[in-house]
Amino acid sequence: MTKLLQTLFDGLAVGSLYALIALGYTMVYGILQFINFAHSDVFMTGAWVAYVVAATAGWAALGGDAPPLYAGLFTLFASMLFCAILGFGIERLAYRPLRKAPRLNVLITAIGISLFLENIGQRPELFGTQPQKMPQLLPDTTLFTIADVNFRVVDLTVIAVALVLMAVLQWLVFHTRLGRAMRAVSHNFSVASLMGINVDAVISFTFVVGSAMAAAAGFLYVMKYPGALKQPADSTWILLGLKCFVAAVIGGIGNVRGAMLGGVLIGLMEMFGAAYLSPHMRDIYVFSLLIIVLLVRPAGLLGRATVEKV
Amino acid sequence: MTAPILDVRAISIAFGGLKAVTDFSLSLPAGALQGLIGPNGAGKTTVFNLLTGVYRPQTGEIHLDGRRVDGLKPNRIAAAGLARTFQNIRLFGDLTVLDNVRVACHVRAETGLAAAIFRTRAHYGEEAAIRERALSLLEIFGLSHRAGEYARNLPYGDQRRLEIARALATGPKVLLLDEPAAGMNPQEKRALADLIALVRRQFGLTVLLIEHDMGLVMNICEAITVIDHGVTIARGTPAEVQADPAVIEAYLGAPDEPPPASAPAPAPDSAKADP
Amino acid sequence: MLGARAAALRPGYGFVLSRAVGPFGAFLALAFVMQLVVVPWAGPFYEKLLMDIGINCLLAVSLNLVNGFTGQFSIGHAGFMAVGGYVAGAVTYYGSFVLWGSPAVHGGFLGGGDLLFLAGCLVGGLFSAGAGYLVGLPSLRLRGDYLAIVTLGFGEILRVLLQQTNDVIFVPAQIEAATPWQMATALGGALGFSGIPFYTTVFWVFVMLGLLLIVAFRLKESSEGRAFLSIRENEIAAEAMGIDTTRYKVRAFVLAAFFAGIAGALFAHETGTTLNPRELGFQKSFDIVIMVVLGGMGSISGALVAAVLLTVLPEFLREFADWRLVIYALSLIIMMRFRPQGLFGIREIWELWRKPPGASPAGRGAS
Repeated sequence: MTKLLQTLFDGLAVGSLYALIALGYTMVYGILQFINFAHSDVFMTGAWVAYVVAATAGWAALGGDAPPLYAGLFTLFASMLFCAILGFGIERLAYRPLRKAPRLNVLITAIGISLFLENIGQRPELFGTQPQKMPQLLPDTTLFTIADVNFRVVDLTVIAVALVLMAVLQWLVFHTRLGRAMRAVSHNFSVASLMGINVDAVISFTFVVGSAMAAAAGFLYVMKYPGALKQPADSTWILLGLKCFVAAVIGGIGNVRGAMLGGVLIGLMEMFGAAYLSPHMRDIYVFSLLIIVLLVRPAGLLGRATVEKV
Repeated sequence: MTAPILDVRAISIAFGGLKAVTDFSLSLPAGALQGLIGPNGAGKTTVFNLLTGVYRPQTGEIHLDGRRVDGLKPNRIAAAGLARTFQNIRLFGDLTVLDNVRVACHVRAETGLAAAIFRTRAHYGEEAAIRERALSLLEIFGLSHRAGEYARNLPYGDQRRLEIARALATGPKVLLLDEPAAGMNPQEKRALADLIALVRRQFGLTVLLIEHDMGLVMNICEAITVIDHGVTIARGTPAEVQADPAVIEAYLGAPDEPPPASAPAPAPDSAKADP
Repeated sequence: MLGARAAALRPGYGFVLSRAVGPFGAFLALAFVMQLVVVPWAGPFYEKLLMDIGINCLLAVSLNLVNGFTGQFSIGHAGFMAVGGYVAGAVTYYGSFVLWGSPAVHGGFLGGGDLLFLAGCLVGGLFSAGAGYLVGLPSLRLRGDYLAIVTLGFGEILRVLLQQTNDVIFVPAQIEAATPWQMATALGGALGFSGIPFYTTVFWVFVMLGLLLIVAFRLKESSEGRAFLSIRENEIAAEAMGIDTTRYKVRAFVLAAFFAGIAGALFAHETGTTLNPRELGFQKSFDIVIMVVLGGMGSISGALVAAVLLTVLPEFLREFADWRLVIYALSLIIMMRFRPQGLFGIREIWELWRKPPGASPAGRGAS
């Protein structure tokens, strides 16, 4: 019973992380219909920027049990800001010139950006080729225990921050003018522009929001797993990004709520698989789920099948 | 009267709440040349997509030469003998004109991958037969001199003709032409009408065509079906259809009654594009 | 309706025999010349370079069957390489133990060991083709870019599985006692499969490359192959013309996987390489994708040129090794912006210099 609840809790924590990243994939796919391969590298950059900020500021060395609360918040916002600018720049410089190009060209460009970020990140002037350990910004303690299940501060923070960000996004997309414009563009690109919507601005905004979310996920990821800050070109990052894309597909690509649902599902599936079957095979559960979904319900759980115009 | 070669029984499809085609029926006798007309957005192309398996009908049945074909994949329906052209031209742009037609011959080929890789005698024979057939079709359509050009470089009228030649190369029993004369000038249209008559005779084809040019349709079609909003509103000879008040209303918006002063009759062009 | 004419138009046996068998003979002769004349003259550095070039050509041309011919986008080619490499490695390594009691290279050029190696290559290719079928069937039914994700995921799953395998058994007594299953799961895990005999020679690389080139060119010049190309050009029209698009996509994918498996087998038995799961990951797959994109998707000769360029250049620009992938990435991005069709587009190199005067006569061509 304890194991069940603990796994459930862990799965929710990981799942909300995945959901944050999946949102970026799904929003871009919804509007531009291509897999933004560089998204996992924005996530990676977010994690590394968080590390650089935290390590440079030296809060962890202040002594005492834990660095002040503002340290974490400052790091989070610094990372989000950096990646928001990065995302804006990527869209502006690489994707926008290809707006009318075949989708395959955009996909290849995205792969190019992904490779570029990874390998430029490995430069000694930037992040280098060595994995690092994230300084601790939160007390590594258990906040409370219910039925022998440990609710660690870190995990609760991850869930809380992810929930807040997703609530903000939800509000943005469904309750603001800008959100309505986003949904309009994703529904029909050319009609939206005829209706006087500034499509370029909406797309830029989508990349900014998606990248900031990915950065937040990167920050939360290294808070949760301080030892897992692998070098930029390590396959961990692409693999994580891939899982989150799978989450978006499972939820129904292009669907914001679907991405959240898919992220949590994948997180739960992974944790339950790791706890009850074999911890080495986590990735395999995720991709098996993808294959099953593609076979049974290619449009995803919340997605609607689209009819191609002939 | 013999059994119809294409027998369509009350097929329907709806996209979400939109009923694109409702209870469409059609019976084409072998060798017929009939037209399918209607205002923009009436569902004509959707009917073609249903017949050729691009969409699966939600009700009804389609029989081609006595064989039920609804629910089959488009390639199986093409193999069964139903070929089509596309309203928005869909040629293989980066293949040559000859290769466009040769691709369509492939559905009648009998040798497979192994024969192609190991180059058996049967393979050579078949390649030669495909080439001969493709060239003779290009000859009929006056495209021989362009055989080696890339399809994307052809002038518009030639692209339309190549689409028909390619469809014929699949060896169809029934040919569906989706606005074959769109974008052509009157001379080209007349030539096209002659060409359709010629291939129909030569290949013993049955033809169903969608066309906006009323002159062309009325001239060459023996019978016409008119649909509007996915519903069949009239059927008959060109003369009968022309005189049918429902048809006139669909196209012109009830001219016999005085139109309301505030709302002028909608022009057919203002209707929604074909789904 | 083609049948009667096709029968009537069959050429004589002499013609068929020379045309069908000729290219095989030509490539075999070329492989012999390379091995027996060029290699002794060029020395070991260039021998290794020639093998690397040949293997990369195999990879680029085979991926081109999928990405160039059918217009799909696979980015997990290294995964199929891994399947072929590991299967072939297991066949020769454990096979040598069983047959000759030691994994060392057995026999001379074209000796018993070489035959075992050839068998290993074919078995590796077949396993890889089988994997291609399993991966391709669910994902190629769908339109769009899901194939990219699924192939990438396949590579990762494979890496995880290979890392779970046991250490290589190298004690003869233990091998004698081992069951086939125990051998098949003792592939070295994360450390890599060490001890595979170095059977790969320039000869074998060029034999396999010759095979692939014959297959690729013959496809391009046949009705079967035109079906592949039509999918790239317009999938909906291809279907309407009676092409079973899923079947042909899967065929292209399986063929490509077969030759990637063979390339993997050659790679596994090459001097100076280690077969480990990390070596055949994303980065390798991307390298191959870049070759195909640079050469021009659809152009066989373009893929060859790009593969040669991208193998040779890094060898001679070693001081820039750190920047290699940064440069690759930038060149991908810049190329998509300014020359998305790659060096040669979908045409072969020799087609660039002539304006198509008319169709080429049937059955004629490189093969």
